[in-house]
Amino acid sequence: MEAYLIAIAIVSAVYVLLALGLTLQYGMTGIINFGHVGFFAVGAYAAALLAEQGWHPLPAFLAAGVLAAAAAWPLGMVSLRLREDYFAIVSLGFSEVVRLVVTSEKWLTKGVQGIPGIPKLFTGLGVGLPNSLAVLAVLLLVNGLAIYAMRRIVRSPFGRMIEAIRDNEDAVKALGKDPARFKVQVLMLGALLAGFAGAFYAHYIGYISPDQFVPLVTFQIWMAIIMGGVGRVSGALAGTLILMLFLEGSRFLRDVLPFISEVEMASVRLGIVGLALILFTLYRPGGIMGEARRT
Amino acid sequence: MTLSRRSTLQALAAASLTSTFGGRAFAQAESFRIGALNPVTGAGAPYGSGMQKMIVAAAEMVNAAGGAGGRKFEVFSEDTQTTPQAAVLAAKKLIEVNKVQAVLGTWASGVSLAVIPLANDAGILHMHTSGAPALSVPPANAKGLGYRYQATNDRFGRAFAEICQKEGYKRPATMAFNNASGIGNTEGFKKAWEAKGGKVLEAVVYEPNQPSYRAELQKVLAAKPDVIVTGSYLADTTIILREWFQSGETTKWIIPAWAANPDLVKAVGNEVSEGLIAVDSISNEGSEAFKAYDAAYRKVMNQDGLSNVYAAMTWDMVVTLALAMEAAGPGANIAAINAKIREVANPAGTKVSTFAEGKEALKKGKINYEGASSVLDFDQYGDVTPDFSVSFVSKGKIERKYVVKI
Repeated sequence: MEAYLIAIAIVSAVYVLLALGLTLQYGMTGIINFGHVGFFAVGAYAAALLAEQGWHPLPAFLAAGVLAAAAAWPLGMVSLRLREDYFAIVSLGFSEVVRLVVTSEKWLTKGVQGIPGIPKLFTGLGVGLPNSLAVLAVLLLVNGLAIYAMRRIVRSPFGRMIEAIRDNEDAVKALGKDPARFKVQVLMLGALLAGFAGAFYAHYIGYISPDQFVPLVTFQIWMAIIMGGVGRVSGALAGTLILMLFLEGSRFLRDVLPFISEVEMASVRLGIVGLALILFTLYRPGGIMGEARRT
Repeated sequence: MTLSRRSTLQALAAASLTSTFGGRAFAQAESFRIGALNPVTGAGAPYGSGMQKMIVAAAEMVNAAGGAGGRKFEVFSEDTQTTPQAAVLAAKKLIEVNKVQAVLGTWASGVSLAVIPLANDAGILHMHTSGAPALSVPPANAKGLGYRYQATNDRFGRAFAEICQKEGYKRPATMAFNNASGIGNTEGFKKAWEAKGGKVLEAVVYEPNQPSYRAELQKVLAAKPDVIVTGSYLADTTIILREWFQSGETTKWIIPAWAANPDLVKAVGNEVSEGLIAVDSISNEGSEAFKAYDAAYRKVMNQDGLSNVYAAMTWDMVVTLALAMEAAGPGANIAAINAKIREVANPAGTKVSTFAEGKEALKKGKINYEGASSVLDFDQYGDVTPDFSVSFVSKGKIERKYVVKI
């Protein structure tokens, strides 16, 4: 049981990292990023390929984050001057481009065959509970650092600027500031977090292939931050936990309701998540953590 | 089965107590726990629920015959959603919470590759239906606990090469759907064909879900092949064949049977489909085991058993596992059971087709289970080598002409 809970906690923590990045981008700056999974994929592949080359995880993880952030730079430069809904489409396209490149560049990524046997972290501590706990601890630490950094950002002049961009971009321009520059920076910061998340994911699951980086992942993160409360760090946390509770908790629902078969349960699970999303938008548009946007 | 809150709480308390003080408590338990981990939703959905229901049905059959090695099966079902991440969490739950001793029936190669390390860490059996060659060897199958009930993509490729040679083709080209299975087929073919001293003129890989494949087709046809070997699925094959027919070329086609089926013939018409060659690993359909499986499948799913080859494989998984447990004797651990799997499935021994029959025959000596999905003889990697049927489409009918052994 413990190992299963730890497994859920690890996957949740990876999702929280992704949700934090999106909170920074959408919740705080108002960038509609539908291509978050693209940066996640860059991080995952970078970490996996560097691990294959025998890199130590520490520099490999840093490289994964930096590469993901670097991938965000040109995207931001070319498209952030677009109005926000156009950027949503461009970013969705970007994540598909990443997936297709990964699929096609077989010499590097092994294409659709995927990369198997990515080493687990901290195996020196012993396989099973000890190394999973260590992975979880490091993930929590990284999450903690990210949350701390985000709180600092919110209170800094930079934070006030990005919130101003979210609330009224034209007013910011009228004040003589260049919103595009800030938006690119935010996009890169969010991508950095997604890159780290990807590196942890690759090392934890141990096998990555292009079909794990489909837009569905992006939208699960969106579900999480919408349910949790857009624009709040606590919302990203709460939303991810609710999402995991729905997805994983429904496995246990069947132990209590034995007359529902697994086939039916799969449909029930999707139905419950959908229903919850509708109820949230109807009755709690600000998410669990309440009043999200001061608009 | 009724569950009150009190009994649930008691069970939970007992479970946590035993896991705290007693370590793994199932060593003395009389049930053997298996995890049915199948693609109920996602890309594998057309097969998943049938696979899962056949695991349950086969387990019930074994239990009705008095259990295996004195133990009854208890089945815990989970959905992989045909994605590695969901599969990993589901497998963790099966292994850690339900304490299963075998995971049966993962489908996509990506899913199996993600789940098999967990089975290795836990030291339990993992039986799957995936085609990727990487699953045969370390690191994936480092402990020899993995068994594959499906032909590898490589073997499909070898069968294609045999057929090409037999039909006298000299100038083959390939077209593959861009996923592990599609490419596995055509690359397996290329390897086998080049080993025979031949040359593949052109190898095109295409992205799925296109409205037209004319550009890819032109590239292949420009090399003037006399036959095109595909690793494709139904939807894309339909479009490709229509466009090929419009081009007026007279190339022949060798297509895996999951694409070249009656639906394809219906979709493209008799004229286009004339002379297509469909290749399939043979479900052991004349066999007694297949009859038993087919009856169970019709009863539960209300469909022909032939419509789901993977369900026949999951049926065989339970039966081979049960026979190995019977052979290993009461209270045997995983290692002892694992050691018996080849013994009960491979030749030298009385041929048997059901668990009950095998249980009887085991009292007298060695047995050889001939399965519903194939004759089920495992090589040293835990792979099976089924025979392949070669069918020709003629006047809208798909007729089996001969069988290829590799």
